[in-house]
Formats: sequence, C-alpha cells, structure tokens
Amino acid sequence: MSRLSDTQTGFAHAVFNADAAVPEGIVSHLRRQPRKRFGVYRNNVYVSLISVLEGRFPVVSRLLGEDFFKATARVFVEHHPPTSPVLMRYGGGFSEFLETFEPVADLPWLADVARLEWAWNLAYHAADKDPVAPEALAAIEPASAGSLVFELHPAVQLVRSAFPVVSIWSEHSKDGEPEHIDAGAGGEDGLIVRPGIAVEVRHLPRGGAAFISALAGGKTLGEAAEVALDEEASFDLQANLAGLIASGAIAGLRPA
Amino acid sequence: MESKTRKMTSLAIASAFAASVAAVGATPAVAADDMVKCYGIAKKGENDCKAGPGTSCSGSSTVDYQGNAWKLVKKGTCTQVSTPFGPGSLTCLATRPTGQNYQCG
Repeated sequence: MSRLSDTQTGFAHAVFNADAAVPEGIVSHLRRQPRKRFGVYRNNVYVSLISVLEGRFPVVSRLLGEDFFKATARVFVEHHPPTSPVLMRYGGGFSEFLETFEPVADLPWLADVARLEWAWNLAYHAADKDPVAPEALAAIEPASAGSLVFELHPAVQLVRSAFPVVSIWSEHSKDGEPEHIDAGAGGEDGLIVRPGIAVEVRHLPRGGAAFISALAGGKTLGEAAEVALDEEASFDLQANLAGLIASGAIAGLRPA
Repeated sequence: MESKTRKMTSLAIASAFAASVAAVGATPAVAADDMVKCYGIAKKGENDCKAGPGTSCSGSSTVDYQGNAWKLVKKGTCTQVSTPFGPGSLTCLATRPTGQNYQCG
C-alpha cells in the first residue's frame, strides 16, 4: 500500500515534469482522458505561479514584454518550483536564473533589475520598526560617534551592480515612455528602505554600499568609514550618514 | 589593535556625525500621517485562489509553450537600454552574444 508522502511526491513530480506519466490513482469523469484533465490542473499551477512572478518582477516584465516574460517565467517555474508554501517567498532565484538563461543573454543588466525587484519584495514584507528618533541621535556625544554600532532597519536591502540598475528600474517603473539609458554608463548601487509602509529605492553615492554593508556587519561607524574610504577615496561620510538617517534606514544605535 | 593608518581621525568622524544629525534635523523619516496601516494590500496574484481568465481550462491544450517560446520577440521596453552587445532586440538573435546557435524558428 502506498504511503501518503509517496503519493504526494509522485503527484508533485508529475506536475512539474510535462513528460511524466499521469500520477497513479488519477481518474477523470471521462475515463479515457485523465491525461487531459491532469494537463488542465498542471497548467493552472503554472499560470498561478507565472502570475506571482509577473506581480513580483513588473519591471523585468515590462522590459521583456508580456509574452516573452511569461514564456521565460514558465521555464523558471518548471525548473524552480516553490520550496515554501508561502507565495511571498517565491521568486528568490529568478535573478540567478536570468543570468544563465540564453534567450536574454543580450541583456546582461536584466538579472540585476530582477535582483532589485526581489530586494524590493523583501523590504515590502520585512518586519515593521520605527526608525531611530532624531532626539536619540541629537543626544549622542559626537566625540564618541566613531565607536557607535548601528542597528539597521529590518527592511534595509542593498543592490550593487556594474550597470545603472537604479536608473533602469526607476525609468521603467514610471508611467509613460521610458527615456533612453546607456547601460555602459557605469555601475549604480541602490539602497532599498521601507521606513513606514512604502518601499523606497535610493541611488547611493559612491562608497555608500560598502559603508552600509560594513555597518550591517556590525562594524563601528569609524570602522565602516574606513572600509568605505578604502573602496572609494572620494567617500563623503557626512553626506552618506545624513542620507542614511534621512532615509529611515537606522533603527537603533549603541556604543560598541 | 589598530595596525594600519587610519584615514579618518575621530575628530573628523565626530564633526561629520554632528553635521549629518543637524542636517537631518528634527524631521522624522516617516511623517506620522503617512503611517496608515491597512489590510487588503496583498499584491496582485498572491492570494491563494486566483479565479478568472487563464485558470480554468486553458491547460487542456497539449501544446508545449516552452518548446517554441524562443521564437517570441522581446516586445517590451528593453530597446530603450543599450548594452555592450547592442540594444535589446526586437527579433530573435540566434547567435548573440555567445555565438551559440539556438533556434529562432
């Protein structure tokens, strides 16, 4: 007698493998046609997951056009079915998939756009937390600032790219005809924050991403500034710190 | 233990900190009236049961979409972004960028 888990595994395998035989025990009211009926079921699974990806990667979809995006998403769904029952976690591997997907190889910046949209999704679903109050910052003795350790907001995400990913994303997130963008114009790093309920994407100044990831890794303000200066000699601590505070990316701080 | 030469003195950090706190001032990052909690904000397509076009019987077709998908062209806005390989294509490019030949139909 077959166990329930075997039945489920066999069923799931058949859903995501178009060539697989109809799973054992599937019957239809038209006795001759269980394959056709199972095909309807399989397609509904695909259609729903493709529609999740379309909602999650609207800019990638706009860039490729609806038909091309759906066909791309279908291949992704087939090779990367959900591993969690929670749909908001589906699509995490889409950018890596695009990196190796031949039909979009002439758009080398596309995977980074997908990475930004996934980061947007993570920020959207991150825990709520109030950014640090201005009074708390004003109460800090500046002389001790170098040894402060920051707690970043749970929604904070960084996306670093060798392409102008923030410009491509923002130009194609707006209504209307997008402006022309030169993908060779140099890399851009983005900071994704959600201080309230609205997700914001900000273009970071040079060295900003190294600075923020050092802070996220538990480095003190002084150490993080050194890391950023090592990467980018023109790093401006004051401008970057002011931007970080203003964007609501800091949730707390304490002496090291 | 600090072995390498520091590029920023603690004085420079202190003044940058003080200036950035002053620059941001007393404006909270989130205005109180922006904070409206609401329900029903699940993104499209992410409710468990999506009824409507496309979810009923369209799978009864036996055509394998994947097999001919790459005869499709990118009709989106990708041509607005130029790349080292040239602009995004409106037609299937069989040999770009790797020289490998995939079917254009």
